[in-house]
Amino acid sequence: MAALRQIAFYGKGGIGKSTTSQNTLAAMCHYYGQKILIVGCDPKADSTRLILHEKAQSTIMQLASEAGTVEDLELEDVCKPGAGEFNPEDETITDGYIMCTESGGPEPGVGCAGRGVITAINFLEEEGAYDDELDFVSYDVLGDVVCGGFAMPIREGKAQEIYIVMSGEMMAMYAANNISKGILKYANTGGVRLAGLICNARMTDREYDLAKNLATQIGTQMIHFVPRSNHVQRAELRRMTVVEFAPNSEQAMEYRELARKIIANDLKVIPTPLEMDDLEALLMEFGLEEEVEVEAIGKRAEEA
Amino acid sequence: MFVCGYHFPASMGNDVSMDKVIEKVNEEAGDLSGVSSIEVTGETAKGEIVEKFTVTPGSFLFTALADYYNKSDVPQKDGFKMIYYTNKYQISEISKSVDGDDAKALCRKLDDMNLYRLKIA
Repeated sequence: MAALRQIAFYGKGGIGKSTTSQNTLAAMCHYYGQKILIVGCDPKADSTRLILHEKAQSTIMQLASEAGTVEDLELEDVCKPGAGEFNPEDETITDGYIMCTESGGPEPGVGCAGRGVITAINFLEEEGAYDDELDFVSYDVLGDVVCGGFAMPIREGKAQEIYIVMSGEMMAMYAANNISKGILKYANTGGVRLAGLICNARMTDREYDLAKNLATQIGTQMIHFVPRSNHVQRAELRRMTVVEFAPNSEQAMEYRELARKIIANDLKVIPTPLEMDDLEALLMEFGLEEEVEVEAIGKRAEEA
Repeated sequence: MFVCGYHFPASMGNDVSMDKVIEKVNEEAGDLSGVSSIEVTGETAKGEIVEKFTVTPGSFLFTALADYYNKSDVPQKDGFKMIYYTNKYQISEISKSVDGDDAKALCRKLDDMNLYRLKIA
Protein backbone atom coordinates (compact mmCIF):
# COMPACT_ATOMS: atom_id res chain seq x y z
CA MET A 1 0.00 0.00 0.00
CA ALA A 2 1.31 3.46 -0.94
CA ALA A 3 2.29 5.82 1.85
CA LEU A 4 -0.12 8.55 2.84
CA ARG A 5 0.65 11.78 0.99
CA GLN A 6 -0.07 15.06 2.79
CA ILE A 7 -0.60 17.84 0.29
CA ALA A 8 -1.67 21.46 0.68
CA PHE A 9 -3.12 24.11 -1.57
CA TYR A 10 -1.86 27.64 -1.02
CA GLY A 11 -2.38 30.87 -2.94
CA LYS A 12 -3.46 34.50 -2.80
CA GLY A 13 -6.85 35.16 -1.18
CA GLY A 14 -9.62 35.06 -3.77
CA ILE A 15 -7.57 33.22 -6.38
CA GLY A 16 -9.86 30.17 -6.29
CA LYS A 17 -7.92 27.85 -3.96
CA SER A 18 -10.95 26.21 -2.40
CA THR A 19 -12.72 25.82 -5.72
CA THR A 20 -9.63 24.45 -7.43
CA SER A 21 -8.73 22.14 -4.58
CA GLN A 22 -12.24 20.70 -4.21
CA ASN A 23 -12.66 20.18 -7.95
CA THR A 24 -9.23 18.56 -8.22
CA LEU A 25 -9.70 16.32 -5.19
CA ALA A 26 -13.14 15.37 -6.49
CA ALA A 27 -11.51 14.34 -9.79
CA MET A 28 -8.87 12.32 -7.92
CA CYS A 29 -11.69 10.45 -6.19
CA HIS A 30 -14.14 10.20 -9.11
CA TYR A 31 -11.74 9.10 -11.87
CA TYR A 32 -8.90 7.49 -9.90
CA GLY A 33 -10.60 6.05 -6.81
CA GLN A 34 -8.45 7.96 -4.34
CA LYS A 35 -9.36 8.02 -0.65
CA ILE A 36 -8.99 11.51 0.68
CA LEU A 37 -9.34 13.51 3.90
CA ILE A 38 -9.79 17.27 3.45
CA VAL A 39 -8.69 19.46 6.34
CA GLY A 40 -9.94 22.98 5.77
CA CYS A 41 -7.52 25.34 7.48
CA ASP A 42 -9.21 28.64 6.76
CA PRO A 43 -11.43 30.33 9.39
CA LYS A 44 -13.88 30.98 6.52
CA ALA A 45 -14.55 27.21 6.56
CA ASP A 46 -15.39 27.00 2.86
CA SER A 47 -12.98 24.20 1.91
CA THR A 48 -15.50 21.38 1.90
CA ARG A 49 -18.88 22.85 0.92
CA LEU A 50 -18.83 21.55 -2.67
CA ILE A 51 -17.95 18.02 -1.54
CA LEU A 52 -20.59 18.06 1.19
CA HIS A 53 -23.23 19.90 -0.86
CA GLU A 54 -23.69 22.16 2.14
CA LYS A 55 -23.46 25.86 2.85
CA ALA A 56 -20.70 25.51 5.45
CA GLN A 57 -19.57 22.74 7.72
CA SER A 58 -19.51 23.18 11.52
CA THR A 59 -15.87 23.64 12.44
CA ILE A 60 -13.78 21.91 15.08
CA MET A 61 -13.23 25.19 16.94
CA GLN A 62 -16.94 26.04 16.84
CA LEU A 63 -17.97 22.59 18.08
CA ALA A 64 -15.26 22.62 20.77
CA SER A 65 -16.51 25.95 22.02
CA GLU A 66 -20.07 24.59 22.23
CA ALA A 67 -18.96 21.35 23.90
CA GLY A 68 -16.56 23.00 26.34
CA THR A 69 -13.18 21.77 25.11
CA VAL A 70 -11.86 19.89 22.10
CA GLU A 71 -11.44 16.80 24.31
CA ASP A 72 -15.22 16.64 24.61
CA LEU A 73 -15.57 15.99 20.88
CA GLU A 74 -15.68 12.69 19.01
CA LEU A 75 -14.20 12.24 15.55
CA GLU A 76 -17.67 11.63 14.08
CA ASP A 77 -18.75 15.06 15.34
CA VAL A 78 -16.22 16.91 13.22
CA CYS A 79 -15.33 14.63 10.32
CA LYS A 80 -18.13 14.17 7.81
CA PRO A 81 -18.32 11.92 4.76
CA GLY A 82 -18.70 13.65 1.41
CA ALA A 83 -22.12 13.70 -0.25
CA GLY A 84 -23.26 11.33 -2.98
CA GLU A 85 -20.45 9.56 -4.79
CA PHE A 86 -17.88 10.89 -2.29
CA ASN A 87 -19.49 9.00 0.60
CA PRO A 88 -17.48 5.87 1.57
CA GLU A 89 -20.67 3.83 1.46
CA ASP A 90 -21.54 4.82 -2.11
CA GLU A 91 -19.49 2.72 -4.53
CA THR A 92 -21.64 3.21 -7.63
CA ILE A 93 -19.10 5.45 -9.37
CA THR A 94 -15.89 5.05 -7.43
CA ASP A 95 -14.26 3.03 -4.65
CA GLY A 96 -12.70 6.27 -3.51
CA TYR A 97 -14.23 8.62 -0.96
CA ILE A 98 -13.68 12.00 0.60
CA MET A 99 -13.94 12.80 4.31
CA CYS A 100 -14.26 16.44 5.29
CA THR A 101 -13.32 18.53 8.28
CA GLU A 102 -12.84 22.24 8.92
CA SER A 103 -10.56 23.62 11.62
CA GLY A 104 -12.33 26.94 11.87
CA GLY A 105 -10.79 29.77 13.83
CA PRO A 106 -11.42 32.99 15.68
CA GLU A 107 -13.79 35.78 14.69
CA PRO A 108 -12.19 38.24 12.25
CA GLY A 109 -9.82 40.51 14.17
CA VAL A 110 -9.70 38.30 17.27
CA GLY A 111 -7.02 35.72 18.05
CA CYS A 112 -4.76 33.63 15.87
CA ALA A 113 -5.95 31.33 13.08
CA GLY A 114 -2.83 29.22 13.54
CA ARG A 115 -3.99 28.05 16.96
CA GLY A 116 -7.23 26.69 15.52
CA VAL A 117 -5.38 24.90 12.75
CA ILE A 118 -2.90 23.12 15.00
CA THR A 119 -5.57 22.26 17.60
CA ALA A 120 -7.62 20.73 14.82
CA ILE A 121 -4.76 18.77 13.26
CA ASN A 122 -3.62 17.39 16.62
CA PHE A 123 -7.17 16.37 17.48
CA LEU A 124 -7.62 14.61 14.12
CA GLU A 125 -4.34 12.72 14.53
CA GLU A 126 -5.10 11.67 18.09
CA GLU A 127 -8.58 10.48 17.16
CA GLY A 128 -7.26 8.35 14.28
CA ALA A 129 -8.61 10.38 11.35
CA TYR A 130 -5.38 9.77 9.40
CA ASP A 131 -6.08 6.08 8.96
CA ASP A 132 -4.12 3.58 6.87
CA GLU A 133 -6.75 3.45 4.16
CA LEU A 134 -6.25 7.05 3.09
CA ASP A 135 -4.21 7.93 0.00
CA PHE A 136 -4.17 11.70 0.57
CA VAL A 137 -4.71 14.26 3.30
CA SER A 138 -5.27 17.67 1.75
CA TYR A 139 -4.96 20.97 3.60
CA ASP A 140 -6.66 24.02 2.15
CA VAL A 141 -4.86 26.94 3.71
CA LEU A 142 -5.75 30.63 3.95
CA GLY A 143 -3.91 32.99 1.62
CA ASP A 144 -2.33 35.42 4.05
CA VAL A 145 1.40 34.71 4.33
CA VAL A 146 1.86 36.72 7.53
CA CYS A 147 -0.89 34.89 9.44
CA GLY A 148 0.09 32.11 11.85
CA GLY A 149 -2.50 29.89 10.22
CA PHE A 150 -0.57 30.08 6.99
CA ALA A 151 2.57 28.42 8.26
CA MET A 152 1.05 25.94 10.69
CA PRO A 153 0.54 22.91 8.40
CA ILE A 154 4.10 23.19 7.08
CA ARG A 155 5.78 24.34 10.29
CA GLU A 156 4.44 21.37 12.16
CA GLY A 157 5.68 19.02 9.42
CA LYS A 158 2.16 18.03 8.37
CA ALA A 159 1.80 19.19 4.75
CA GLN A 160 4.74 17.86 2.77
CA GLU A 161 3.79 18.68 -0.79
CA ILE A 162 2.62 22.18 -1.65
CA TYR A 163 0.64 23.27 -4.70
CA ILE A 164 0.33 27.01 -5.20
CA VAL A 165 -2.80 28.18 -6.99
CA MET A 166 -2.01 31.33 -8.95
CA SER A 167 -2.84 33.19 -12.16
CA GLY A 168 -1.05 35.49 -14.57
CA GLU A 169 -2.16 38.55 -12.63
CA MET A 170 0.52 40.54 -10.93
CA MET A 171 -0.63 40.15 -7.31
CA ALA A 172 -1.22 36.43 -7.71
CA MET A 173 2.35 36.08 -8.92
CA TYR A 174 3.70 38.19 -6.06
CA ALA A 175 1.77 35.99 -3.66
CA ALA A 176 3.06 32.78 -5.27
CA ASN A 177 6.61 34.05 -4.90
CA ASN A 178 5.99 35.04 -1.26
CA ILE A 179 4.50 31.65 -0.46
CA SER A 180 7.64 30.09 -1.95
CA LYS A 181 9.64 32.16 0.52
CA GLY A 182 7.48 30.75 3.32
CA ILE A 183 8.09 27.20 2.08
CA LEU A 184 11.83 27.83 1.80
CA LYS A 185 11.90 29.00 5.42
CA TYR A 186 10.65 25.61 6.65
CA ALA A 187 12.10 23.36 3.93
CA ASN A 188 15.36 22.69 5.70
CA THR A 189 13.90 22.06 9.14
CA GLY A 190 10.98 19.94 7.95
CA GLY A 191 10.31 17.93 4.84
CA VAL A 192 8.06 20.42 3.07
CA ARG A 193 8.60 20.82 -0.68
CA LEU A 194 7.03 22.84 -3.46
CA ALA A 195 5.33 20.46 -5.90
CA GLY A 196 4.04 22.87 -8.52
CA LEU A 197 2.06 25.93 -9.53
CA ILE A 198 -1.52 25.49 -10.69
CA CYS A 199 -2.54 28.33 -12.99
CA ASN A 200 -6.22 29.01 -12.31
CA ALA A 201 -6.43 31.13 -15.42
CA ARG A 202 -7.93 34.58 -15.59
CA MET A 203 -7.43 34.33 -19.37
CA THR A 204 -5.14 37.36 -19.48
CA ASP A 205 -2.58 37.89 -22.25
CA ARG A 206 0.39 35.52 -22.27
CA GLU A 207 -0.79 33.96 -19.03
CA TYR A 208 0.69 30.54 -19.81
CA ASP A 209 4.09 32.08 -20.59
CA LEU A 210 4.10 34.08 -17.38
CA ALA A 211 3.04 31.19 -15.16
CA LYS A 212 5.47 28.79 -16.80
CA ASN A 213 8.40 31.19 -16.53
CA LEU A 214 7.67 32.01 -12.91
CA ALA A 215 7.50 28.29 -12.15
CA THR A 216 10.79 27.59 -13.92
CA GLN A 217 12.56 30.44 -12.17
CA ILE A 218 11.46 29.41 -8.69
CA GLY A 219 12.60 25.86 -9.40
CA THR A 220 9.26 24.13 -9.89
CA GLN A 221 6.79 23.30 -12.65
CA MET A 222 3.54 24.84 -13.83
CA ILE A 223 1.76 21.55 -13.42
CA HIS A 224 -1.49 22.51 -15.11
CA PHE A 225 -3.25 25.45 -16.73
CA VAL A 226 -6.90 25.37 -15.67
CA PRO A 227 -8.99 27.48 -18.07
CA ARG A 228 -11.90 29.64 -16.96
CA SER A 229 -15.27 28.02 -17.47
CA ASN A 230 -18.86 28.86 -16.64
CA HIS A 231 -19.31 25.24 -15.56
CA VAL A 232 -17.33 26.02 -12.40
CA GLN A 233 -19.74 28.72 -11.33
CA ARG A 234 -22.81 26.73 -12.36
CA ALA A 235 -21.60 23.79 -10.29
CA GLU A 236 -20.75 26.06 -7.32
CA LEU A 237 -24.24 27.52 -7.31
CA ARG A 238 -25.50 23.97 -6.88
CA ARG A 239 -22.85 23.36 -4.18
CA MET A 240 -21.28 20.71 -6.37
CA THR A 241 -17.96 20.02 -8.02
CA VAL A 242 -17.68 20.08 -11.80
CA VAL A 243 -16.95 16.35 -12.01
CA GLU A 244 -20.36 15.62 -10.46
CA PHE A 245 -22.25 18.38 -12.22
CA ALA A 246 -20.91 17.77 -15.72
CA PRO A 247 -18.54 14.76 -15.70
CA ASN A 248 -18.07 14.75 -19.48
CA SER A 249 -17.51 18.49 -19.86
CA GLU A 250 -14.21 19.95 -21.04
CA GLN A 251 -13.70 21.51 -17.61
CA ALA A 252 -14.15 18.16 -15.87
CA MET A 253 -11.53 16.73 -18.24
CA GLU A 254 -9.14 19.53 -17.28
CA TYR A 255 -9.56 18.69 -13.58
CA ARG A 256 -9.15 14.99 -14.39
CA GLU A 257 -5.84 15.73 -16.11
CA LEU A 258 -4.65 17.83 -13.16
CA ALA A 259 -5.69 14.99 -10.83
CA ARG A 260 -3.70 12.47 -12.87
CA LYS A 261 -0.62 14.67 -12.73
CA ILE A 262 -0.84 15.24 -8.96
CA ILE A 263 -1.16 11.50 -8.35
CA ALA A 264 1.90 10.80 -10.54
CA ASN A 265 3.92 13.87 -9.51
CA ASP A 266 7.42 13.26 -8.19
CA LEU A 267 8.92 16.73 -8.72
CA LYS A 268 9.09 18.14 -5.22
CA VAL A 269 11.67 20.85 -4.70
CA ILE A 270 13.04 23.37 -2.27
CA PRO A 271 11.98 26.58 -4.03
CA THR A 272 14.28 29.37 -5.12
CA PRO A 273 12.06 32.47 -4.73
CA LEU A 274 12.78 35.54 -6.82
CA GLU A 275 13.96 38.89 -5.56
CA MET A 276 11.40 41.62 -6.14
CA ASP A 277 13.47 43.16 -8.97
CA ASP A 278 13.61 39.84 -10.80
CA LEU A 279 9.89 39.33 -10.40
CA GLU A 280 9.19 42.80 -11.78
CA ALA A 281 11.57 42.09 -14.67
CA LEU A 282 9.60 38.93 -15.45
CA LEU A 283 6.32 40.86 -15.42
CA MET A 284 7.83 43.45 -17.75
CA GLU A 285 9.28 40.83 -20.09
CA PHE A 286 5.82 39.40 -20.66
CA GLY A 287 4.13 42.76 -20.93
CA LEU A 288 2.19 42.80 -17.69
CA GLU A 289 3.96 45.95 -16.63
CA GLU A 290 5.66 48.58 -18.75
CA GLU A 291 9.09 49.77 -17.76
CA VAL A 292 8.83 53.03 -15.86
CA GLU A 293 11.52 55.72 -15.99
CA VAL A 294 12.90 56.65 -12.57
CA GLU A 295 11.68 60.24 -13.09
CA ALA A 296 8.09 58.99 -13.56
CA ILE A 297 7.84 57.24 -10.19
CA GLY A 298 5.22 58.87 -7.96
CA LYS A 299 3.86 61.06 -10.76
CA ARG A 300 0.27 61.16 -11.99
CA ALA A 301 -0.62 59.99 -15.50
CA GLU A 302 -0.94 63.57 -16.77
CA GLU A 303 2.43 64.55 -15.26
CA ALA A 304 4.45 61.50 -16.36
CA MET B 1 7.31 17.10 -14.59
CA PHE B 2 4.73 16.82 -17.34
CA VAL B 3 5.14 18.00 -20.93
CA CYS B 4 2.71 17.16 -23.74
CA GLY B 5 1.02 14.86 -21.23
CA TYR B 6 4.15 12.75 -20.68
CA HIS B 7 5.77 12.35 -17.31
CA PHE B 8 9.46 13.16 -17.14
CA PRO B 9 11.02 11.94 -13.89
CA ALA B 10 12.09 14.44 -11.24
CA SER B 11 15.73 13.50 -11.88
CA MET B 12 15.43 15.40 -15.20
CA GLY B 13 14.72 18.63 -13.31
CA ASN B 14 12.07 21.28 -13.82
CA ASP B 15 13.13 22.40 -17.29
CA VAL B 16 13.25 19.34 -19.54
CA SER B 17 14.97 20.16 -22.84
CA MET B 18 12.88 20.38 -25.99
CA ASP B 19 15.08 17.70 -27.59
CA LYS B 20 14.07 15.23 -24.90
CA VAL B 21 10.40 16.08 -25.29
CA ILE B 22 10.54 15.78 -29.10
CA GLU B 23 12.34 12.43 -28.79
CA LYS B 24 9.67 11.19 -26.37
CA VAL B 25 6.75 12.38 -28.51
CA ASN B 26 8.22 10.86 -31.70
CA GLU B 27 8.86 7.57 -29.93
CA GLU B 28 5.38 7.41 -28.40
CA ALA B 29 3.57 8.57 -31.56
CA GLY B 30 4.88 5.59 -33.54
CA ASP B 31 3.85 5.11 -37.14
CA LEU B 32 1.59 7.95 -38.27
CA SER B 33 1.71 7.08 -41.98
CA GLY B 34 -2.04 6.39 -41.90
CA VAL B 35 -2.79 9.96 -40.81
CA SER B 36 -2.91 12.36 -43.75
CA SER B 37 -4.05 15.50 -41.98
CA ILE B 38 -5.44 16.91 -38.76
CA GLU B 39 -8.47 19.15 -38.74
CA VAL B 40 -8.36 21.76 -35.98
CA THR B 41 -11.09 24.10 -34.76
CA GLY B 42 -10.94 26.89 -32.20
CA GLU B 43 -14.02 28.08 -30.36
CA THR B 44 -14.93 30.83 -27.94
CA ALA B 45 -16.30 30.20 -24.45
CA LYS B 46 -19.78 30.44 -26.01
CA GLY B 47 -18.96 27.62 -28.44
CA GLU B 48 -18.73 29.85 -31.52
CA ILE B 49 -16.12 28.44 -33.93
CA VAL B 50 -13.71 31.20 -34.86
CA GLU B 51 -10.73 29.20 -36.23
CA LYS B 52 -10.57 26.28 -38.61
CA PHE B 53 -7.37 24.97 -40.13
CA THR B 54 -5.62 21.81 -41.23
CA VAL B 55 -2.20 20.54 -40.16
CA THR B 56 -0.32 18.37 -42.65
CA PRO B 57 2.54 15.92 -41.94
CA GLY B 58 6.15 16.98 -41.67
CA SER B 59 6.24 19.00 -38.47
CA PHE B 60 6.46 18.46 -34.73
CA LEU B 61 3.07 20.17 -34.54
CA PHE B 62 1.55 17.41 -36.68
CA THR B 63 3.21 14.58 -34.76
CA ALA B 64 2.31 15.95 -31.33
CA LEU B 65 -1.32 16.66 -32.25
CA ALA B 66 -1.77 13.26 -33.90
CA ASP B 67 -0.20 11.55 -30.90
CA TYR B 68 -2.46 13.49 -28.54
CA TYR B 69 -5.54 12.52 -30.56
CA ASN B 70 -4.60 8.85 -30.63
CA LYS B 71 -3.80 8.66 -26.91
CA SER B 72 -6.41 10.92 -25.40
CA ASP B 73 -9.61 9.37 -24.02
CA VAL B 74 -11.57 12.63 -23.68
CA PRO B 75 -15.15 12.35 -24.95
CA GLN B 76 -15.54 12.96 -28.71
CA LYS B 77 -17.87 15.52 -30.24
CA ASP B 78 -18.55 14.73 -33.93
CA GLY B 79 -15.21 12.91 -34.04
CA PHE B 80 -13.35 15.90 -32.54
CA LYS B 81 -11.47 15.73 -29.25
CA MET B 82 -10.72 18.78 -27.11
CA ILE B 83 -7.08 19.46 -26.40
CA TYR B 84 -6.01 20.43 -22.88
CA TYR B 85 -4.92 24.06 -22.70
CA THR B 86 -1.62 23.05 -21.10
CA ASN B 87 -0.86 20.66 -23.96
CA LYS B 88 -1.74 23.11 -26.73
CA TYR B 89 0.53 25.78 -25.22
CA GLN B 90 3.38 23.32 -24.71
CA ILE B 91 3.06 21.89 -28.23
CA SER B 92 2.90 25.41 -29.67
CA GLU B 93 5.97 26.52 -27.72
CA ILE B 94 8.07 23.65 -29.06
CA SER B 95 6.68 23.85 -32.58
CA LYS B 96 7.53 27.55 -32.83
CA SER B 97 11.15 26.67 -32.02
CA VAL B 98 11.64 23.73 -34.37
CA ASP B 99 9.05 23.89 -37.17
CA GLY B 100 8.86 25.99 -40.32
CA ASP B 101 6.95 29.21 -40.88
CA ASP B 102 3.65 27.53 -41.81
CA ALA B 103 3.46 25.62 -38.54
CA LYS B 104 4.57 28.72 -36.62
CA ALA B 105 1.69 30.70 -38.08
CA LEU B 106 -0.76 28.02 -36.91
CA CYS B 107 0.82 27.97 -33.46
CA ARG B 108 0.19 31.67 -33.05
CA LYS B 109 -3.51 30.83 -33.31
CA LEU B 110 -3.15 28.07 -30.69
CA ASP B 111 -1.64 30.60 -28.30
CA ASP B 112 -4.96 32.38 -27.82
CA MET B 113 -7.51 31.69 -25.08
CA ASN B 114 -9.95 29.67 -27.18
CA LEU B 115 -10.74 25.99 -26.76
CA TYR B 116 -9.31 23.87 -29.59
CA ARG B 117 -10.54 20.54 -30.89
CA LEU B 118 -8.84 18.04 -33.19
CA LYS B 119 -9.88 15.33 -35.62
CA ILE B 120 -7.48 13.18 -37.57
CA ALA B 121 -8.13 12.12 -41.16
